[in-house]
Amino acid sequence: MIRTEEMLLNVGPQHPSTHGVFRVVVKLDGEQIIHADPVMGYLHRGTEKLAENLNYTQIIPYTDRMDYVSAMTNNYVLVHAVETLLELEIPERAEYLRLIVMELQRVASHLVWWGTYLLDIGAMSPFLYAFREREMIIDLFNELCGARLTYFYMRVGGVKWDAPEGWIDKVKAFVAHMKEKLGEYHNLVSGNEIFLARIKGVGRYDAQTAIDYGLSGANLRCTGVDWDLRKSQPYSLYDRFDFDVITRTEGDCLARYEIRLEEIRQSLRILDQALEQFPEEGEIMGKVPRVIRPPKGEAYVAIESPRGEIGCHLVSEGKAEPYRLKFRRPSFVNLQILPKLLVGESMTNLITILGGIDIVVGEVDA
Amino acid sequence: MKGIAKGLGVTLKTMTQKKVTYKYPDVPLEMPNRFRGVQHFEPDKCIVCNQCVRICPTECITLTGKPNPDPEKKGKVIDTYDINFEICILCDLCTEVCPTEAIVMTNNFELATYSRDDLFKNMEWLDDNNTNVRLENSTNPQAKKGAK
Amino acid sequence: MSEENKKRESEQASNREAEREANEQDKQQEEPKEDSSAQTDGEVHVEPSGKATPNKDAAERALENQNPAAEAKAEKHEEADKAAKAEKPDNAEKPEKKASEQAADGDDEAAAKKKAAAEARAARAAERAKKKAEEEEKPKEPSPKQPVLDRLVDILKEHAGADAIEEAYVNEASRHLPTVIVKADFWTEVATILRDHAELKLHYLRNVTGVDRETHMEVIYQLINLETKQDYAVKVKTDRDQPAVPSATPVWSTANWPEREIYDLLGVDFPGHPDLRRIMMADDWEGYPLRKDYSPADPEV
Ligand code: SF4
Ligand code: SF4
Repeated sequence: MIRTEEMLLNVGPQHPSTHGVFRVVVKLDGEQIIHADPVMGYLHRGTEKLAENLNYTQIIPYTDRMDYVSAMTNNYVLVHAVETLLELEIPERAEYLRLIVMELQRVASHLVWWGTYLLDIGAMSPFLYAFREREMIIDLFNELCGARLTYFYMRVGGVKWDAPEGWIDKVKAFVAHMKEKLGEYHNLVSGNEIFLARIKGVGRYDAQTAIDYGLSGANLRCTGVDWDLRKSQPYSLYDRFDFDVITRTEGDCLARYEIRLEEIRQSLRILDQALEQFPEEGEIMGKVPRVIRPPKGEAYVAIESPRGEIGCHLVSEGKAEPYRLKFRRPSFVNLQILPKLLVGESMTNLITILGGIDIVVGEVDA
Repeated sequence: MKGIAKGLGVTLKTMTQKKVTYKYPDVPLEMPNRFRGVQHFEPDKCIVCNQCVRICPTECITLTGKPNPDPEKKGKVIDTYDINFEICILCDLCTEVCPTEAIVMTNNFELATYSRDDLFKNMEWLDDNNTNVRLENSTNPQAKKGAK
Repeated sequence: MSEENKKRESEQASNREAEREANEQDKQQEEPKEDSSAQTDGEVHVEPSGKATPNKDAAERALENQNPAAEAKAEKHEEADKAAKAEKPDNAEKPEKKASEQAADGDDEAAAKKKAAAEARAARAAERAKKKAEEEEKPKEPSPKQPVLDRLVDILKEHAGADAIEEAYVNEASRHLPTVIVKADFWTEVATILRDHAELKLHYLRNVTGVDRETHMEVIYQLINLETKQDYAVKVKTDRDQPAVPSATPVWSTANWPEREIYDLLGVDFPGHPDLRRIMMADDWEGYPLRKDYSPADPEV
């Protein structure tokens, strides 16, 4: 007799495909998942609580460590929130520098996703290709701000370092190089029949579900919703550039894959224009009071990180420390749909779906 | 099968290209000058102003001062100065606020040890860590208002 | 290190030191003030004359000595009777003499610099005060989003009853965000209206934040209509001892985990939530870490 009882299986917390410490408790009926319960908090450092006892400059390095694959956008959302409350003017050169590093970061982040996602579903070598190009971006950042991952580059009112001599040319060279490599990526993977069989039609949902679950980034755009905060609620200088918001209508993992790769191309387009317009001279720091004390009040600002809408809700009581600082972390919100997507799927698709959402556990847990 | 063949084409092409991997640790890695590595501390320069302790977001610096041994001079000189590299995040803030550049960054980054206790570095160690000292220190952007 | 070098360095140090000192004074002056005016900085409250004196002092005294740090501490004491000191010029005179012996050239320069800086600051403060006064004179222009807010209030009053809304205002600091404070009893009803009303169609919940206001708890929902791009914030206030806000999860699935997080970290109950349990902290954790009066059981961790 074959025994047909349900089985409870822990995927994680130390599972390579979770890219961090994250656990999904799945109930299995044979190969089929009938219930899934994500368990998180293993990486919870209490950033929001810590921030209440630190001044604004000191909080910025903590934001680096939330979404460590995309530290620049995290830096930006915090300083942007403070600047909104302070009504600060940012010098143009500083704003261009910020925008350039944010777009480079988007490329780097998508490259990490691309490499690790394919690694998850069994293709080893794309990872090496992706990290080859990512290493170039990281070298650029390292030269600019002296760190490879936790940049701590932006400050309230501007940026810490000006671009070193020749840096802009190096970025230009990288953009040209990357454009070429993008075609190579498509040749390498996008047409691969095994790969397509693995992700096409998997993890499908429609626009209504996506909106109901508050998904953002590629997870939302893969259902045909044209929503990118760079276009819909322009911040920084994004209204000066010409670029497209990539959407697909299939709503499956393949759609998300295509969107992320195409977004690299769009980012390169923005970079091209930004590097062209980059002011020769200028300040990199605005007029900031010595002790930063935003006026009493609250503000919610949101920007488009590589993973979706990253927001910062800042409540200030007019002191040097925030009264309450809350981050809307896209990975955390996007991950909510996971249990819904997993039910009825086979166990092998768990990794495909989880990877397709693109989470960074540091951000899920904050 | 066409897709797979195309992919293999890329692989074959890449095989003939130059290697991009580093030979680290056999060949040491050169970091750019701005790199934030393990700090170098110069006790003679320190004026025991405590600014670095106050700005440090992780509270990993502990220092004590003692009265200046030279009775002619007032004030204090540094007695002990420790950084706990278990929690130091190499954020650059201490070097940014230090008014005398007593604490500066170096381009050294190798800290791995077998015991956590070894990560607690004292003044002598930090003083001896004097290679590859970073050239641009104390560039507090806020104080200099965008000076290059 | 050569004597020259040392001297220059100490000068530099004391310059910075004095600057910082001035800053510190600002801080101390405003620290006790916690009202909204604190933002306008100590600079406004500080009398230009009172400022210049200790500043100059600080610079000179620091110069006199190779170790301004110790001075910094002494300085703090002196601040307390700043006024008294200003009356006794001879007190300030002494170090000046000594300093001129030790660092003859740098001294005057530094002092002049300090003075100039203090003057500039005073001027700025005056300017700001003027600007502020001007602002107060002008009646504040209504926000461009005022009609949007009025319309929202009308809709809510019509469908949910006149008492549903406690307060409505445009949060100008947050890019003119129309904000309404809804009574907790009406929240479920209001949420449904917000989502389904043909004019609002707020299908997308961006963020949920919980704030411990010490007198009460607040849960803030950020909503946006993806087509018109109009966003709103809805606040629900609740008692601090027995905090409970009807869950919005049945209306927007997004609210699920953020509400669990608020429950976990702030202890707000969400009746109607399908699965309310801790999410970040361990299941047997005691207390709610994000509350202002939270003290960890083991402070070492
Ligand atoms: S680098 Fe940052 S964390 Fe490390 S000692 Fe300096 S201030 Fe502290
Ligand atoms: S900031 Fe510099 S001078 Fe002041 S105590 Fe620290 S190391 Fe010494």
